[in-house]
Amino acid sequence: MLGIGIIQGLVETARNFFGSYTSKQRLTTVQFPDERLIQPEAARVFPFLVYDTDDWEKGLRCVACKICEVECPPQCISITKSADKKPDYSGIYSGKPQFYPEKFDIDVSVCMSCQICVEVCPFEAIKMDNAFELSTDDRFGGLMWDKQRLAMPNSHYQAIHPTDAAESDAALAEKKAKAEAKPAAAAAAAPAKPAPEKAGAATER
Amino acid sequence: MRAGLGGVMDEELKNLKAELSKHGVFTTTFEELYNWGRKNSVWPLTFGLACCAIEMIATTMARYDLARFGAEVFRASPRQADLIIVSGTVTKKMAPQVVRLYNQMPEPKYVIAMGACAISGGPFRDGYNVLKGIDRYIPVDVHIPGCPPRPEALIDAFMTLQKKIDAQQLTGEDRPRHLKEDLPSEFPVPEYGEHDLEPPNNAEVWNPLKVIQK
Repeated sequence: MLGIGIIQGLVETARNFFGSYTSKQRLTTVQFPDERLIQPEAARVFPFLVYDTDDWEKGLRCVACKICEVECPPQCISITKSADKKPDYSGIYSGKPQFYPEKFDIDVSVCMSCQICVEVCPFEAIKMDNAFELSTDDRFGGLMWDKQRLAMPNSHYQAIHPTDAAESDAALAEKKAKAEAKPAAAAAAAPAKPAPEKAGAATER
Repeated sequence: MRAGLGGVMDEELKNLKAELSKHGVFTTTFEELYNWGRKNSVWPLTFGLACCAIEMIATTMARYDLARFGAEVFRASPRQADLIIVSGTVTKKMAPQVVRLYNQMPEPKYVIAMGACAISGGPFRDGYNVLKGIDRYIPVDVHIPGCPPRPEALIDAFMTLQKKIDAQQLTGEDRPRHLKEDLPSEFPVPEYGEHDLEPPNNAEVWNPLKVIQK
């Protein structure tokens, strides 16, 4: 019959309207600044740099290998490699001194949140954050993030992406155990031979 | 000198108002009333360009409900709109139309650049056919990074814009653009040139940082 759809629609609207007085489920609106939807664990916005220990500058895991800079599709990452090496504060490079990023800038006005930097990083040093309240009226200062703005502790990663963070921590622990086992085995076999510089080879690219 | 005097006056005025409100007397200034009125009825223009527009549409729907902030009506005519949300990739073919729509809006007017493409061209910024940011032609008030930003991020940007409107002064050097008589309300509409839009940017609004090569 003509018009039956309109009546059905109005009935549904009326049901939701009157039902909203008794049932919380019929209130669809999320009162955003006061209440928030729970984000899915995989939610991602922009990358951040993971650091261990309490000092963000010393504890950065990044070794400035520039793989993410090369792989970034919109080319929004810009890294300057340091001239000297810093000691291994984060404890994931088996105590060897590493290069560090003198400058690590991400232009978030270009970043397209594709997560490719995270996937290619061999050191679990860059991860995706889920903070989204980033609007600014400062076009150039507010949207170019330097390494201090990007640095976040590993505990932050564990809080926002618990499953991924557990995997990442397990991978790092495994790598560390392997690295510790190798020199021990080498020392047992031939005490005079020094351990191969593996991390140094990986940073050359 | 002027700013210093204004600061003292503001402080005294604030104290006076606080004192009066304790006795049940509500006072306000013309400036506050004007800003309050403007910030709570910012009507956006129905104008979407790309995928960010889908998020913009979602923001206006019941789940996120932009109407809670006084932006319930998306006007289909620029003559009735206060805010243009540039939501998506601005191609060089579309750029003159965007500027024309902005010109047709009455003052005071605001611009939100939503998403990577509207701010900088995003992943397409090296393309031949995409404008590298709408702020080359029109003054942008709030930028939202993201690809695309969540509906909540647009609401957050809207609140940022409201705060910005609320902080504006009606008099003095810091008064907003639309209260300065000598500044233009309309900007030149670019035309299709041989290789690029002519002019490639509007020098009045586009002031990028200078890159110094060592």
